[in-house]
Amino acid sequence: MEPLSIIESVLESLPVAIFAKDADDDFRFILWNKKQEEVTTVRAEKALGKNDYKLFSKESADYFRSVDKAVINRGSLMKVPDEILETKDGEEVHLRTVKIPVFDEETQRQLVVGISEDITEQVKSHEQLESLNKTLSEANRELQETQMQLIQAEKLESIGRLAAGVAHEVKNPLALLLLGVDYLSQGVEPDDANVDKILTQMREAVDRADRIVRGLVDFSSQRALTREPMQLSRLVEEVLLLVRHELTRSNTKIELDIPEELPEVFLDLAKFEQVLINLIINAVHAMSDEPQPKLVIHVRSESLHRVVKNQGARKREVFREGDRVVVLEIRDNGTGIDSKDSGRLFDPFYTTKATGKGTGLGLSVSRKIVALHSGELSIKNREDHKGAVARITLPTKIDKTTDSSKSNQLKDVDNNARKLSSSGDV
Amino acid sequence: MLVDDEPGFTELLKMNLEKSGDYEVQIENDSTKALAVARKFQPDAILLDVVMPGLDGGDVQALIQSDPILSNTPIIMLTALVDSAELSEGAVAQSGSSVMLPKPVDLSLLLRVLGEAIDANQP
Repeated sequence: MEPLSIIESVLESLPVAIFAKDADDDFRFILWNKKQEEVTTVRAEKALGKNDYKLFSKESADYFRSVDKAVINRGSLMKVPDEILETKDGEEVHLRTVKIPVFDEETQRQLVVGISEDITEQVKSHEQLESLNKTLSEANRELQETQMQLIQAEKLESIGRLAAGVAHEVKNPLALLLLGVDYLSQGVEPDDANVDKILTQMREAVDRADRIVRGLVDFSSQRALTREPMQLSRLVEEVLLLVRHELTRSNTKIELDIPEELPEVFLDLAKFEQVLINLIINAVHAMSDEPQPKLVIHVRSESLHRVVKNQGARKREVFREGDRVVVLEIRDNGTGIDSKDSGRLFDPFYTTKATGKGTGLGLSVSRKIVALHSGELSIKNREDHKGAVARITLPTKIDKTTDSSKSNQLKDVDNNARKLSSSGDV
Repeated sequence: MLVDDEPGFTELLKMNLEKSGDYEVQIENDSTKALAVARKFQPDAILLDVVMPGLDGGDVQALIQSDPILSNTPIIMLTALVDSAELSEGAVAQSGSSVMLPKPVDLSLLLRVLGEAIDANQP
């Protein structure tokens, strides 16, 4: 065997597969380096002097031939789409190849030189990463689903608590309707001035019952987070319809301090009703020993200043200096928060109520719902120490980053690398 | 006399009582004023709602029953809290010395109970 020239030595030791074909001699191989032997599992002495049709399946050879011709026609370097080469041992080798047309001045022959990089490891680790990512987004989706189920479970508990009160609120308009029917069914004189009044009252009673029932049905419905722009005054109005009975029964005075014009916030009405109902019922319970229980619901819009960074090491700072926000406060004149409870208020299943009176999920779920709206919920004692204040801060701008529809799943990689196989005919 | 925080309800009940029972009816929608108004009006009977802001029905009942002028006035409590199934067939629940009727109220039952209560209270 002749000693190898420097060029030949370099070609042999390169970590990329290199081959060359003579286009003027039916594309027979005239170069086949060591790495090319490895990736194809075909020895050089078997390959040299043969063309693709002798070495690979007809389908593969046809493809190689068409690429070779294209390279020559184009007259410049061409990147070949990634290929999967199936070796004789059944192993898959992923190749990334460029082909270059070379004209050999010495022999006056047109050559096609190919350089293939073995990217099998790269592809495999990408596939692993992709599968890990899939598992992760699956786990994330399950977590979100569980959160939604938890929110719904807590809501069902609220509905249970409210049901008696709501039934009572519906019975009142029903009582009025029945009285109207009783009156009219006794027969009325044409000039009876009461009739108009009675019909108006009856119509209002139907509207009222309808509003209460619809409010409860909307509140109960289980849906994914669906946010719409609205004024907080509407939310407060809907909630008061559902808790009116609890307020009357506990003799709680309610004071609303809500400006007529407020920037709209972007929220899921039913889920936010759940938050407000939780906060109001908690406040009513905290005022049960107070002779003159009074609840103030105060809404204002403001620009944030002196934003305190979240000490809880949460994933991101929710608000920034200067953000426009709407703040809703519920102030009670109850017992306030005991210092031993203050750190655990939002812990799931933490409750100061007697067994059977509360699951301890209300506040943790409420905070979760507010967080899903990119807002913050805090509960503190009032500065004058005459009860507690629950504060919800919500951004006024439309923030789509927390929409559940958005997933961070990686796109499926374009997996259409050509699959090629070597024939056994080598 | 009707004491209930629902003006619509008291208005319609008054119309019905005046039309079918030949009663003179006084309405009070603010329970905290019920005692004073009752002392002035001195009704033959008081129809009293249970769940009201301010003083609830139980409070008003206690005030009336401990008042020297009104203590013997029959009281009929009306409430949406009572399960009407338990009160079927004209059965009537008792709350202390008062009669209790469910809301929505059956007018003929109310008229009967009211008539009996007033008759029983005549000297």
